[in-house]
Amino acid sequence: MRDVEHDEILGRAFDRRLVGRLARIARPHHRLIAAAGVLFPLIAAFELVQPFLVKIAIDDHILRADWAGLTGVAALFLAALAVLAILRAVESYLMNLTGQRVMHDLRAAIFRHLLRLDAAFYDRYAVGRLMTRVLNDVEAVNEAFTSGLFAVIGDIVTLVAVVGAMLWLDWRLALVTFSLVPVLAAVAAWFRVRARDAYREVRRRLARLNAFLQESIQGMTVIQLFAREAHEHRAFRRLNADYRRMLFRSTIWEASLYASVEALGSAALAVLLWYGARQIAAEALTFGTLVAFIQYTTRFFLPIRDLGAKYTVMQAAMASAERIFELLDVVPAVQAPPATSRPAPTNAAAVEFSSVWFAYEDERWVLRDCRFAVQRGEHVAIVGATGEGKTTCARLLNRFYDVARGRVLLEGMDVREWDLAALRRHVGVIFQDTVLFTGSVESNLQLGLDGRVTRPDLDRAIDAAHCRRLVETLPRGLGEELLERGANLSHGQRQLLAIARALVYNPAVLVLDEATSSVDPESEALIRRALARLVEGRTTITIAHRLSTVQSADRILVLHRGRVHEEGRHADLLRAGGLYARLWEISARTQQG
Amino acid sequence: MAAAGLGPAARALSRYLSRYRARYARGIACLLTATASSLAIPWAVQRAIEALEADTARAAIGRYVGLVLLLAATNGIARLGSRFSIMGGAQRIEHDLRNDLYAALQRFPPAEIARRTTGDLMTRATSDASAVRSLVGFGAVSFIGTIAAFVGALTAMVSVDPWLTLWAMAPYPILIVVAKRANARIHAQTDAAQHQLGVLSSTVQEHLAGMSVVRAYTMEEHAARVFDAANGEYLVRSLRLARTMAAFVPLTGAITGVGALIVLWLGGREVIAGRLSLGALVAFNGYLAYLAWPTLALGWTLALLRRGLTSMARVQEIIDGAPPREATADGETAPRSATAPRIGFENLTFAYDDRGPALRDVTFEIRPGETVAVVGPTGSGKSTLGALLARLWEPPPGTVFLDGRDVRTLPLRALRGTIGYVPQEAFLFSRSVSDNVSLEREALDAARVRDAAVASGVAEEIEGFPRGWQTVVGERGLTLSGGQRQRVALARALAGDPSLIVLDDVFASVDAAKEDEILRQLRPRLAGRTVLLMTHRLHAAQAADRIVVLVDGRVVQQGTHDELLRADGAYAQLWRIQQLEAEIAGA
Repeated sequence: MRDVEHDEILGRAFDRRLVGRLARIARPHHRLIAAAGVLFPLIAAFELVQPFLVKIAIDDHILRADWAGLTGVAALFLAALAVLAILRAVESYLMNLTGQRVMHDLRAAIFRHLLRLDAAFYDRYAVGRLMTRVLNDVEAVNEAFTSGLFAVIGDIVTLVAVVGAMLWLDWRLALVTFSLVPVLAAVAAWFRVRARDAYREVRRRLARLNAFLQESIQGMTVIQLFAREAHEHRAFRRLNADYRRMLFRSTIWEASLYASVEALGSAALAVLLWYGARQIAAEALTFGTLVAFIQYTTRFFLPIRDLGAKYTVMQAAMASAERIFELLDVVPAVQAPPATSRPAPTNAAAVEFSSVWFAYEDERWVLRDCRFAVQRGEHVAIVGATGEGKTTCARLLNRFYDVARGRVLLEGMDVREWDLAALRRHVGVIFQDTVLFTGSVESNLQLGLDGRVTRPDLDRAIDAAHCRRLVETLPRGLGEELLERGANLSHGQRQLLAIARALVYNPAVLVLDEATSSVDPESEALIRRALARLVEGRTTITIAHRLSTVQSADRILVLHRGRVHEEGRHADLLRAGGLYARLWEISARTQQG
Repeated sequence: MAAAGLGPAARALSRYLSRYRARYARGIACLLTATASSLAIPWAVQRAIEALEADTARAAIGRYVGLVLLLAATNGIARLGSRFSIMGGAQRIEHDLRNDLYAALQRFPPAEIARRTTGDLMTRATSDASAVRSLVGFGAVSFIGTIAAFVGALTAMVSVDPWLTLWAMAPYPILIVVAKRANARIHAQTDAAQHQLGVLSSTVQEHLAGMSVVRAYTMEEHAARVFDAANGEYLVRSLRLARTMAAFVPLTGAITGVGALIVLWLGGREVIAGRLSLGALVAFNGYLAYLAWPTLALGWTLALLRRGLTSMARVQEIIDGAPPREATADGETAPRSATAPRIGFENLTFAYDDRGPALRDVTFEIRPGETVAVVGPTGSGKSTLGALLARLWEPPPGTVFLDGRDVRTLPLRALRGTIGYVPQEAFLFSRSVSDNVSLEREALDAARVRDAAVASGVAEEIEGFPRGWQTVVGERGLTLSGGQRQRVALARALAGDPSLIVLDDVFASVDAAKEDEILRQLRPRLAGRTVLLMTHRLHAAQAADRIVVLVDGRVVQQGTHDELLRADGAYAQLWRIQQLEAEIAGA
């Protein structure tokens, strides 16, 4: 809801800091922008040529009965039209090209930035909101370039050119025409301010209406259970009517603005006619000039009228730009150290948690003084009740999050000193939920390694993970295209592919976050055998959610209250009759039930 | 979207339009007046120039100047009138549409709302409703305006010189042909770009959602490459569209310009030959210029109309799709059961739309004033029982009874007025705590609100907030803990003094000790009421008069706590597991 309001209310149309940053993003395309800058005056000039040609046609040819000369002017007119069309086409394309390229770059910059952000960031921001930044906000910024900035520059250039042309043709008549400009400016400003205030109020009421609606949708069960339908509907009707009233008010100002500008345009025409006629009578003015002036007047009033509308576009664009930069300014909490070092070969444990404290928020500790070590080649299982921080251990090991206190050591070196990519190449994780991506089976098996995996390696992994049959049943084998999240595979098939993927990745240390949802018995057996191959001889930490699979581990750690409470082999722990024995009994009974 | 598919939407829209036909009639009359008066301005200028031509020195220009001013004023006022009438009407239609949509949403069962997602429903109520407004507002103004402009300008032009009109219109057939071809191309290229935007969007979505794997498998570079490919392709397609537009839009401008050129050239010859006055030529040019904008805007207007109808269809889908409202559900005072009712479930089998049965052949009874606990693991169908009792889902006929009457035959309002229902997820509105408890029910004064909060064990905490009962909660206010929210929801149910209380796993977010405490405080309040307590914690069920054990939607055991423990079945098994869990938690 807060988001809705935040997104709806507009701020300033021009913020120097934001414009500066936008300019920096547009800098690679400065040639395009410069080209557009050259085109604007050219276009304005060619637009003004037409009324001038009409003047020449009337004064020099029509009134002098010179049909041949008129044909010549007509030919010039045609040429001017053609050149103008070409110039406009080039301008339109250049503007779009610039806008689209800037958007392309901006999207890429945001996406790359998102790739660098840490897990804690993603805990705070819903994917939907981030999507809005990458897609909608970028689009709004493009509007700032094409409909806003470029259009405003174009309008101003046109305005200046019209003024120049009129002054050049007949400065007295021009001044007479301009006599209405102060009135126009005053009227436009007066209405514009009101329209803008009303519009801002419209947005605020719309935000309130939407917030109410969203809450109603989410709380509909409560509304229905307590039979508050009529009451809530009354409240909604009030907000809805409020919004409509304000919307109408903004329409009044907006329409009045348009109508008064148009009326002033006609008034200018009347003034022209009145003064022009007297000048013509005094032979100080030609018919052609008068007609040209009539045409110039229209072109003069339109840009003044439209400047206001562009203001709103710019406001929306600035708000979007601000949100985008806010996102780009988020500093990743987890970063690779400036100078990366490789661990010196030591006899240290493969993994060691040394007095680790960690909390996702504030001081609600998930791990408190957690200590354990995993020797090279050892297979350790971590068990414990839900919420005891088992999965957290895995997340700390490959630096999805950083510890609050203590150290996590990998091959004797603090994970914070490892190069981030090297660390994550060293530690492989199989997640509870198997995530597959759109693309071929093969690209899903290679992921970050594409191109660097040889075919025999791939084949070996597929065989070891018992994926051969699966791959062969797919119509296009390894080339089979997977749908989003692997939706065209069964749950078990997805898990097998995830195991094969880990085998391809071939990490020195494997973290296996056991899948909690069960699959059919046949897949289960295959998965178990595949896992056995994966674990074989590899330093492995299994995060066990079901105890049935931990018996084969070399050692079992029982996490309780954020630290290791018991540890040992399955049989020893069972005999000790502590927490593990109770967990084991629960597990056994749950499976019976 | 095929035109046939939008027929129903157009019909539905015409029903709304007919409510405001007087407004629209006024608006159209104003629009026609405005068009006529603005077309009369070139005519007045023509007459002025003709007068000047005829007798430069003594022409009565003042008359024409006055006429132009009068016409300008008429045009301005009429245009304002048309905007106010038609835009105002459109805003009213949007308003009505939104009200109807809201009313429809209130009739949907909650699960149906969840299935459609908040985002989708919001889109329909906001951007679709405003697209309909654009259709009957701006769209209508510019559509009618375009027609009026063409009819008016053509008439005026023909009255000046039919032949010249024909010549001036000569480029228009070319324009139509070009526009048709360009539109087809623009349409195809827009689709292609939109499709690629969809691809780009799902690429982003997919990688953001799967970020843990992206990180863990160091596939950032790979993801960036995949993204770049999609992003690049989108750029290519957008530019393809931009090229077509860049070629087409100036071309239309040029073609309209050719009309003006022909008028100048051929019209000039007429003037030279003395068959046409200079004033008429200038006026003719004025009329032609008047057509330039409607011509350019025509494509845009048509797109607006199409988009508006599509949106109308989407809004209508919700309004028509809502179950009809029961006449009785709306009455402010419906009879409700004042004494503790008897509840019966008889051979109840129920399945949600697309899944297997959630409940199978469930039969049990709750006697008046009795507390029955339904226990079972997550997913055993406990919540479904409560939802069917309150008719959040419609139960099959003859399966759920309140005081011997099939709940389906009871007025919704009476049924729900009888039940104090506390759902699993405590939902609070972004309002004051006090309003959240009372839900602004007329009969609830501050004393009763406080009383209910005391019984729910949350009053003390609320009074400890700086703003006490007026504390606004939720996203724009104070964030309450899960347990606090749950107890506010409990107070909300108790405040209505219901004779039947349904508690759906309400204590999931408080610890066992707090649960004990709340239940202890609650017990006197529950006396004399019928209580259905659904819970996965057996500890809370222990004190119930009777316990029903549900496994996979089936009743597997029934009895008191002691009986069930002795029976050594599913209940005893669950009990043992929960004992062990309690031991672990306490270790």
